[in-house]
Amino acid sequence: MALNPSNAWLAFKPSLDQPWSAKLAAHLFRRAGFAANSAELDLAVKSGLDATLDRLFSPKAATAPEGDAKSDRHFAADPARFESQMASLGSTMMATGNAQSLSSYWLFRMLFTPDQLLEKTTLFWHGHFATSAAKVDNARLMLRHGDLLRAHAMDKFVPFVQAISRDPAMLLWLDAASNRKIRPNENYARELMELFCLGVGNYTEDDIKEVARAFTGWEVVRDEFRFNKYQHDEGTKSFLGKSGNYNGDDAVQVVLAQPAASRFIARKLVKYFVAEEPELSPEIIEPIAKELRENGFEIGPVIRRILSSNIFYSEEAIGRMIKSPVSLAIGLLRALEGSTNMNQVAQSLERLGQAVFYPPNVKGWDGGRTWINSSTLLGRANMVRSIIDTKETTFGGGKLDALAKTHGKTSPDSVVDWLLGLLVAVDIPRDVRERLIKVADGAGDRHIAIGNAVHAISALPEFQLC
Amino acid sequence: MTTSSRRQFLQRSATGATLLSLAPTVPQFLLTSSAVAAQSKPGEKILVVVQLSGGNDGINTVIPYGDDVYHKSRFTTRIQNNQVHKIDDYVGFHPSLSGFSELMQQGQLAVMQGVGYPNPDRSHFSSMDIWHTAVRDMEKMRRMTGWVGRYLDKNHAGVAGDSPALHLGNDRQPLAVVAERVRVPSVANVDAFKLSLGGQTQLAPIIESAAKAHRADAKPDDLLGFLQQSTVTALLSSKRMQEAISQYKTSINYPGTGLAQRMKTIAQLIDAGLTTRIYYLTLDGFDTHSNQAVTHANQLKELGDAMAAFLKDLKEHGHDQRVLTMTFSEFGRRVKENASRGTDHGAAAPMFLAGAGVKGGVIGKHPSMTDLDEGDLKYHTDFRSVYATILDRWLGADSKAVLGEKFASVSALKA
Repeated sequence: MALNPSNAWLAFKPSLDQPWSAKLAAHLFRRAGFAANSAELDLAVKSGLDATLDRLFSPKAATAPEGDAKSDRHFAADPARFESQMASLGSTMMATGNAQSLSSYWLFRMLFTPDQLLEKTTLFWHGHFATSAAKVDNARLMLRHGDLLRAHAMDKFVPFVQAISRDPAMLLWLDAASNRKIRPNENYARELMELFCLGVGNYTEDDIKEVARAFTGWEVVRDEFRFNKYQHDEGTKSFLGKSGNYNGDDAVQVVLAQPAASRFIARKLVKYFVAEEPELSPEIIEPIAKELRENGFEIGPVIRRILSSNIFYSEEAIGRMIKSPVSLAIGLLRALEGSTNMNQVAQSLERLGQAVFYPPNVKGWDGGRTWINSSTLLGRANMVRSIIDTKETTFGGGKLDALAKTHGKTSPDSVVDWLLGLLVAVDIPRDVRERLIKVADGAGDRHIAIGNAVHAISALPEFQLC
Repeated sequence: MTTSSRRQFLQRSATGATLLSLAPTVPQFLLTSSAVAAQSKPGEKILVVVQLSGGNDGINTVIPYGDDVYHKSRFTTRIQNNQVHKIDDYVGFHPSLSGFSELMQQGQLAVMQGVGYPNPDRSHFSSMDIWHTAVRDMEKMRRMTGWVGRYLDKNHAGVAGDSPALHLGNDRQPLAVVAERVRVPSVANVDAFKLSLGGQTQLAPIIESAAKAHRADAKPDDLLGFLQQSTVTALLSSKRMQEAISQYKTSINYPGTGLAQRMKTIAQLIDAGLTTRIYYLTLDGFDTHSNQAVTHANQLKELGDAMAAFLKDLKEHGHDQRVLTMTFSEFGRRVKENASRGTDHGAAAPMFLAGAGVKGGVIGKHPSMTDLDEGDLKYHTDFRSVYATILDRWLGADSKAVLGEKFASVSALKA
C-alpha cells in the first residue's frame, strides 16, 4: 500500500497479504514498550491486534502471563501489588540518599512493570522535559519529578505542562527557583517555547521576555513550589499575538494554543514511536497534529492511533529506528524473562550514553545515529556479555536452556529462530543464521552455548535496529 | 608499534583473512569507506586537550620571579629565585615543571601569557562553562554545546567509524565535547575498545564474519548500512587496538600517575591508527585555597612529567608532527596569598601549547602585577583567540562557524 496523509493513520487491518504475525506483534511490543516475552508474544498472536492493544493500554484489565512465585517477575502480574512494591523500594532508596541509585530504581521499574507502555511513554517525556539529577542533586525531588511525568504521561498536555512548570526539580534545573518581578528569569520561558512546546522559529525574543513576566513570583521554597504574590508582575503581558494579565498557567495555555505546538509534539511522538529515519514529511504527520488540536491535546488516544495505524505496521516503521541503550537492555531482559543486577546495568547504560535521570542537557537524548560509535557498539555487546555472565542473572528464574525448553525450543535451529524472533526486528542474512545455529549447537554446557548465541546476536548490526 | 611494524600490520590486514579478502561478499561501500576510514590518514592533525580543573595558580606556574610584587604577595607559596627554572630574566617555571622546562628548551612548548576573557567570572561552574562553550555573552549564544562539540557537528557528524573525539577518564563528560549531532564517548580506559568474550574466544571470528556478511538491503546511507559500517569498523578497531597495544614498545618511562597513564593510552591509540581527532583529558585538584605549596607542586609535577613523556613517545613513534597538546584552566588565582597559605579564585593565567608544530617560547607579556582587576591579573589575550588559531590552523576548520565570531589569531603555531 502506498502511504499518504489520508491512509497512513487509518487503522491497520491484517489481511492475507499482511497477516497479523509474531513479527508484527514483536514490533508493537518493542515500540509500545521494551519487548514481549514468549508468552506475551504467543498471546498477542492468538488474540489479535485489537485485543493486544487493549491489554497494552489497560494492563489492569488484562490477564497477565502467570508468574513464577519464586521470581521477581511474580509481582509484576498484579499491578496493585507492583505499585506498592515500587513505593517501598523507592523509600528504601531514598533512605540510602544515593542519587546514583535513582537510575537503577527506574530501570527496575521498567523491567518488571505490568504497564510497559506507560513506562516507555514516561521515558519519552523524560527525554522531552529533560531534567538531570546531576544539577538538581536531590534524589527525592528527582523521584517526584519522575512520578509527575508518569502521572501525566497519557494525559492532556495543557495540565501536564502546567504541572511541570511548578515542579521543583524542573525549576531548580532551569535556574528558575526564584523569578522576581524586577528581574524576570527568561530561562524557563525560553525552554518552555523552544524545547517543550513550540520549537525554534515559532516565537520571538520579545515573546520570551513577556512569558517570563507571567511566571514571576513562581518559586521553590524548601523543596516545594510556592507562588509569591509580592513578586508577581500584575501588568499586561503581550505575546504570541495575545495580551492580558496572564500568570504562568495562562501562559502555558496561550503557548499551547499555537498550531505549532501540536505539530511539534506530533513530530516528536511519531519520531519516538514510528520512525527516526528517514524523517517523515510534515504532510504525513499533520493528521496526528490535527487530532491533538481537535481532541484537547490528549496524549493517550493519539498514541493508540499511532500504534494502530497502517504506517506503524509498514516498512516505513519496522526497523527504522536505533534501539536506545535503555530499550536494548530492558528489551533483552524482558524478552528473555531476565533478572539481573540493575546497578550494573545502570552503569553500563551510563557508558553507552543513557543514564536515566541524568540526561546530557535540557534537550534530552538526540537518539538515532548519535547512539552509535565504535566504543558504544562494542559496549552494547559487552553489556550483553556481562549480563549473561553475571552470577545473579537468571532467565525465567533459571538458565537459558531451561527457558528455551519451557517454550518448546530444543534443537539449535529452533532456539536461534526463537531468539531472533524475540530480539531482532528485521531479517538477517541466511548465512549469518547458519553461523548462529552452530554457536547455539556448541559443545558443552547448553546454557553457555545459548548465551553465546545471544551474545553473537547482540553484536549484529540488525540487533541495533528497533 | 613502530612505523614499520604498523605498516606490516596494515599489510597483513589487507592481505590476511580480514575485510578485503572477503571482497566478493562485502558491499562496495564497506570496502571503500570504512576500510579507508578505519585507517587514519597520516596527515590528519590531532589535538589533545588537558583540562586543569579547579583554577590553576598561573602565577606559581610561570612565575614572575623577577618582580618584587610577586615575592611580597606570596609569603608561604612563593618560590625562591634560585629554584625557578628560568625562561628569561623575569619569568620561569615552577621547580616541579622540569618537564616543561625541557620542552621549552627543545622549542616544543609555547607559553601564552595573560589569557582570559572580558568581565571574568570567578565561579568554578560558570567560568568552566565559559571556557567549555566559548560563549561569554549568553545573549548572543546559548551554552548548550561545547566548542569541540560544535567543531565535530560541523566537520564529523553522521560519519561511520571511530569516534572523532574521545574523552578519556572517570570524570563526568565535559561540556566542551557536547555536540548536537555527535555523541562523544567518555571511556575510563582502553578496555572500552575491546570486544569482551568472557573466555569464549571461538566467538570472535563468528561475530566478525557475521558483521561483514553481505546484506542485500543495506545501503551506505540508510540505518542498516550505517550500522554495518560502524560495526565492521568497531571490530576492526578493537582488533587493531589490541594488537597495537600488546605490541606497543616504547623506551619512554611514563610516570605511574593517572594523567601519565592516560596519555600513554592516547599515544597507543594514535599509533594504532584510530581516526579520532580530539582527545580530552582532565587533571583535577587545582583548587588550592589552603596549604597550597605541596599540593600545587605535586599537581604541576604530574602535569609536566606526563606531558614530557608523552611528547617524547610521540616523537619516538613518528607522530610528533601531527599532535598538538593544549592545556587550560577555568581561571588563575589571586595575586595575593590568603590567610590559609593558599590562594583564592582569580582571573587571567597562562595557557600552554606543546608539540613539534608549535612556535616555542613565551608569547605575550606577563600581565602587570600591580594594575589589577579586583586583585586579579588582567587578561590581554582572549582564550577564544587560542581556540580560533587551533581550529583554523591546526584542525583546518572554520573558527567563525564554530565560535560564532571571528577572533584574532595568536602566533603560537609554525607556519
